[in-house]
Amino acid sequence: MKTLKIEPEVSIPEYLTGEIQSKLAYVDESIVSAKVHPNRIELLVNTPSSAGEQGISQDKEKEINRKVQRVITSMAKGSIRPKIQVLEDHMDRAVNYDLDPNIKLIRLGELSQEGNGFYTIGPLLSGLIEFFEKQFLNLADSFQAKPYRFPTLISAEMLDRVGYFSAFPHSLSFVTHLREDLDVIDDFAQSTKFVSGGLNTSGESFTRIQTLLSPAVCYHLYFSLADRQLSGGHLAATGVGNCFRYEAINMSSLERLWNFTMREIIFVGSKDYVLENREAGRKRMQEFFETIDFVYRVESANDPFFIGEFRKQAAFQSAFQLKYEIRAFLPFKNDTLAVGSYNYHQDFFGRNLNITLEDSSPAHTSCVAFGLERIAYAFLAQYGLNPKDWPEPVQESIP
Amino acid sequence: MESEQSNVNEQVKALLAEALQVEPELVTPDLTFGDIPQWDSMGHMEVMMRLEEYFGVEINPDTIASLISLPLICEYINNMDG
Repeated sequence: MKTLKIEPEVSIPEYLTGEIQSKLAYVDESIVSAKVHPNRIELLVNTPSSAGEQGISQDKEKEINRKVQRVITSMAKGSIRPKIQVLEDHMDRAVNYDLDPNIKLIRLGELSQEGNGFYTIGPLLSGLIEFFEKQFLNLADSFQAKPYRFPTLISAEMLDRVGYFSAFPHSLSFVTHLREDLDVIDDFAQSTKFVSGGLNTSGESFTRIQTLLSPAVCYHLYFSLADRQLSGGHLAATGVGNCFRYEAINMSSLERLWNFTMREIIFVGSKDYVLENREAGRKRMQEFFETIDFVYRVESANDPFFIGEFRKQAAFQSAFQLKYEIRAFLPFKNDTLAVGSYNYHQDFFGRNLNITLEDSSPAHTSCVAFGLERIAYAFLAQYGLNPKDWPEPVQESIP
Repeated sequence: MESEQSNVNEQVKALLAEALQVEPELVTPDLTFGDIPQWDSMGHMEVMMRLEEYFGVEINPDTIASLISLPLICEYINNMDG
């Protein structure tokens, strides 16, 4: 391995440090870790075994440097400082635990890594997730949200229709299968092995991509409403599902998974309807979080758009205050983790998917979303793994 | 004064058409965010950046969220000048 130090050609504003650092994961396959400092970037890169002591070639180093500069320029040049609006701040609540629950969870067999970014979760953590699920279902009931079941697969055609590929290409997870060709299937059956970190199958054996693994829950509802008028004027719905966002070297324990579970409560209707319900959802969750003394704040945020769209889309989200994240305190690292969000999409899905209201205007949408693994993880980071130390409502709910 | 305003309005209109990559005829006097597919979130930010560049102003996030129609943009630019 070799450390590369790169001096940015464009200065990196402090508010973009984290965003740029996370995007460096996608610069080159050889990058093992990336750290953004005020005036330099440090990359740890894998060196090919044939390179010997010299590490990587000068050409490779130049190529990485060029790509890093492209990321920085694209995201930082002309960027607009986001307006951070804090809606709730409960960071002063007491915590009596400051260890990383991850280590203990693995030791107890509560967490078992099956692959990079996906885990099997044991009974303790599953019980805790179930507890949070009950609260989210109560929240959904308070809106009389209709229950939906959404698939894990998602249509490439529909994702294209809402511009997902240009906004989040880096985190997509594709699904394919062998071509319907006896020779191809036979050849696969006889010669396929897992070697050198992957299957030794030729890409030509697979079909063109028509399907992906779903990156979000609410998209399925919007797709099901496409090209028609919304009956009844508005809709509240809820669903839970597996979501997939590939995060390369950024993936880390339950904090950042490739495969995670999300519960969403989704509103479709007029602007007033979806905004009022988003806000009501936040206030009801605030009451619940108080009952378990959860340490968190709610503040404005932006989605992790890829570099081409980042500058404009992030600034737009910030200016219009479209997204607020529930950021839970992780005492062991004195940092916060997004465990949920309150989102408003304006009439973006209504326009792009032709979902109309009775007056033929495009429907507005909003959603309240919770990452189940993350919220349970943040809870354990604040309370530890001994149920006796947990707040009463949690203890009472878990057998 | 009136002709100055009219001149600025024409400049804003042309700039909007350029930023949104549409024919000037599509930029109607009351054009509002979302009226045409090109004036979406990306288009809006492109308009804001072009305004900043052309008129030499810095537009803060609150203002970005308020400049959602051609008349509102014209009013903002005219007041900046005034």
